[in-house]
Amino acid sequence: MKTKNSDNYTKWQKSFERETKIDLNEASSETDEGIKIKPVYTKADIENLSFVDNDSLPGQLPYTRGPKASMYTNRPWTIRQYAGFSTAEESNDFYKKNLKSGQKGLSVAFDLPTHRGYDSDDDLVMGDVGKAGVAIDTVEDMKILFNDIPLDQMSVSMTMNGAVLPVLSSFIVAGEEQNVNKNLLSGTIQNDILKEFMVRNTYIYPPDPSMKIVADIIEFTSKEMPKFNSISISGYHMQEAGADNVLELAYTLADGMEYVRAALSKGLDIDDFAPRLSFFFAIGTDFFMEIAKLRAARTLWYKIMKDFGAKNEKSLILRTHCQTSGVSLTEKDPYNNIIRTSYEALSAILGGTQSLHTNSFDEAIALPTDESARIARNTQLILQNETGVTNTVDPLAGSYFIESLTDELSKKAWEVIEEIESLGGMTKAVKAGVPKLKIEESATKKQAKVDSGSRVVVGVNKFKNPKEPKVDVRVIDNNRVRDDQIKKINDVKASRDQKAVDESLAKLVTAAKEDSNLLARSIDAIKNRATVGEVSKALEQVYGRHFATSLSVSGVYGKHFEGDEDFMNVTKKVNIFEEENGRRPRVLVVKMGQDGHDRGAKIVATSFADMGFDVDMGPLFQSPKDVAKDAIENDVHAIGVSTLAAGHKTLVPELMKSLKEIDPKSKIIVFVGGVIPEQDYNFLYENNISAIFGPGSNIIESAEKVIDLISDKIHEHN
Amino acid sequence: MQLVEKIIKGERAAIAKAITLVESSRENDKNESRKLISELLNKPGKSIRVGFSGPPGVGKSTFIESFGRYLVEKNYKLGILAIDPSSQITGGSILGDKTRMIEISKNPNTFIRSTPSRGSLGGISVGTREASIILDAAGYDFIFIETVGVGQSETMATNLVDIFSLIVGPGSGDELQGIKKGITEYADIFIVNKNDGDLKSEASKTASDYKSAISYYKKSDDTADKEVLLVSAIEQTGMKKVIETIQNIVSQNKKNKNFDERRAKQFTYWIEEEVREIIQFNIQKKIRADGSISQLSQKVMDGKIQMFEAIEAITQNLQNK
Repeated sequence: MKTKNSDNYTKWQKSFERETKIDLNEASSETDEGIKIKPVYTKADIENLSFVDNDSLPGQLPYTRGPKASMYTNRPWTIRQYAGFSTAEESNDFYKKNLKSGQKGLSVAFDLPTHRGYDSDDDLVMGDVGKAGVAIDTVEDMKILFNDIPLDQMSVSMTMNGAVLPVLSSFIVAGEEQNVNKNLLSGTIQNDILKEFMVRNTYIYPPDPSMKIVADIIEFTSKEMPKFNSISISGYHMQEAGADNVLELAYTLADGMEYVRAALSKGLDIDDFAPRLSFFFAIGTDFFMEIAKLRAARTLWYKIMKDFGAKNEKSLILRTHCQTSGVSLTEKDPYNNIIRTSYEALSAILGGTQSLHTNSFDEAIALPTDESARIARNTQLILQNETGVTNTVDPLAGSYFIESLTDELSKKAWEVIEEIESLGGMTKAVKAGVPKLKIEESATKKQAKVDSGSRVVVGVNKFKNPKEPKVDVRVIDNNRVRDDQIKKINDVKASRDQKAVDESLAKLVTAAKEDSNLLARSIDAIKNRATVGEVSKALEQVYGRHFATSLSVSGVYGKHFEGDEDFMNVTKKVNIFEEENGRRPRVLVVKMGQDGHDRGAKIVATSFADMGFDVDMGPLFQSPKDVAKDAIENDVHAIGVSTLAAGHKTLVPELMKSLKEIDPKSKIIVFVGGVIPEQDYNFLYENNISAIFGPGSNIIESAEKVIDLISDKIHEHN
Repeated sequence: MQLVEKIIKGERAAIAKAITLVESSRENDKNESRKLISELLNKPGKSIRVGFSGPPGVGKSTFIESFGRYLVEKNYKLGILAIDPSSQITGGSILGDKTRMIEISKNPNTFIRSTPSRGSLGGISVGTREASIILDAAGYDFIFIETVGVGQSETMATNLVDIFSLIVGPGSGDELQGIKKGITEYADIFIVNKNDGDLKSEASKTASDYKSAISYYKKSDDTADKEVLLVSAIEQTGMKKVIETIQNIVSQNKKNKNFDERRAKQFTYWIEEEVREIIQFNIQKKIRADGSISQLSQKVMDGKIQMFEAIEAITQNLQNK
């Protein structure tokens, strides 16, 4: 038997090499994770696996094949579309429409000020109100959000991490005032603060008090809200920020371990809370890798929880929500995004997810329209109803390739988990900035692959559409939204019992000082109509607000372009520029407002520096005034504004004004990059913006354009 | 000169443009720069220049943010010159200090300038001294100069600042042995940061290590005593002591003339350096002018003449001119 196999293999190898004219040893490709993918896999590849057990069945340990025995054959995954539109009223309409057309759960997106614990009337958040999600200032907004949606029947998922106390409190009070007791509320709160320090930056307090809040919520919900998932441990945002699948998988599970320890430190029994821990992964375009990732995640979590001493079967099982990758969507040739999302959705299903969000094709540029949201939802309905994927549990099990890939991914992730554990766990690792830097390095590598063309993105760096289609996107008038919210805040403040508010906020501060459970105290304050901002600020008195220090990678981008003609061309221009001007072109790269997605800004900074620019990095959450001061003091030639949360229409004109206020003769040019719908281009150009770089822009081309614009500006004045 | 007036009025854009000028590598900018600095030297301000150095990771920028916040709350005007390393390979740089100086960078009483080191003078960039003169004329009370690494302690202490302080982290006492001589000689203040949380006892131990190390240092004159201070940048503790120590050292050194002597010495160094640079530039121009140097070196390569003969021929030629 064995001889026959190896004879067959030798024969195959010969044929392969004859057909391809490539030596088999050199025919493997390498993934972002550094995993070698061979042209063919055989039985030999699934012998002696480290983590995967070839004989296990669905619903059996180590749960590689799925958390349940029957999986989708009994009930398909939950279609759970994430959405939030500026105001509670609009979002409520949208939810009700979706529920009518077949959606089973709700998922709420909040706007950035809410995430960061600011009320809509705060000066700091001028440009951010109602952008990228719904603004919630008081429990009254939350009540409108769920108007006519019975909270004892609807499972609600909330993406909230920073301002988790006031927002979860508002949800609980909104339920109460619908006559629904909190023990009947079902759903999930993201409550995953560790990844915020790595990638998304919508934290409020420093890591240690933030971890205390997480533990308080786990404690409270495990006692009072048995149907509610206290945390959704998320790798999604890591992949969005450029992490490869090993980093996403390992850091997410390492986060999970840290939350388990935090809850244990409260004296809870592991089996009292572990069944309510849920996970959230991104599903990108690497089809088989994503399937393997979900299978590996369950396998590793089983091992981790067993080591923690969990006994209840439900504690051992990783349940997850998935979302198709937002970063894989392109602005160019946007209908391709429907196809990308479909394949990603199929990956998630073959990997065995419990619920799924499919992105709308226009999400690379704006919040979805009704039409694009319908297509996104239908992607899942077609999978469930037309393709037959629900008829067999874990249909790829036993595939030499899938099983071997699952095992290899598990091994690599386990190494990374051990590395984090050796640093003393994720809170310490996050404080040292290690994971953030690793993710940024991975992101820079990925960008370099696309820019150098070694990774094909259809419609972007190859097979470009000569006639770009025009897409209508949703437009938000955030000044109107802000005015409405301010009015609502004022109404609530005018009619509430101020003494009761002050007292309950004082009690919250005391609780923070005494280290007792904060969620209970926060519910009281919200019930008395304290605002989200007031609750957050009360705790800020005790904990302070966290400001991240920022490290940067260097050399990673440039390494991919050794000898590349376009790259050399830019570095040559930079050198000539230096000779002519006595210094290098100097660019300040900034984020403004409450948008913490800094992947784009970091990649631009490190790649421009690799091309020889001097790059100033501004801190996160700057106001336009701060940016102008910074730019002028450092006498930069240009400011690059990275914007992903639609605040540009307010913040960019504000920046131009501030520059002129400090220096009426300022020659600093401003360019904008990120998520900007095409209909805003004219508005920005009218505000004297020199260039706009949308998603998928080639960085080398962008750098060349920037240096040309700077040179033109200098010559124009000479 | 209009620029001078604007600087003295404290106009932000003018100060920034002036610093660009003094940092410029362009030849005609250098002459402009010398003229500007000469005029500004006639209108000196009252700044105290404090240098901060220390190994990576000890929280230099975080300390400056914390200490700076303390100072601006007391209404002092604060200028900060932060020097970041440039990449050896690309020549470019990422200037990220301001991401750690969030609060003070917003304050109207601060001026914060990052400068790429461009690989010169062991981390002190071209123009740092001139930039500090600009900020002095513009009326800043304190000028902080921050550099990476301890390698440039000597340059910084002897060439640039009135007070030089070294920021170190808890547990750095062990490294002390290796660098003892340099630091005991040049640093006026040792700041042990991260005196907070779990690191507190380690920080105190490190402070005593430094105290015993400086006790070996024999003072040759009546300069102020060196001090070791414990601070926590993140908890903003120990800041009052830092400013008091700086002020004490300054007043003591002013009383016994050490302050002025140090500045006078720095001035001498500076003029020497400038003269050397000009002479070097002129000589280089002359040597390269007639192309004989490349002919001579070719002859050396071909084995037609010895190297010393080539050198002699060139120097002879220069002297004759």
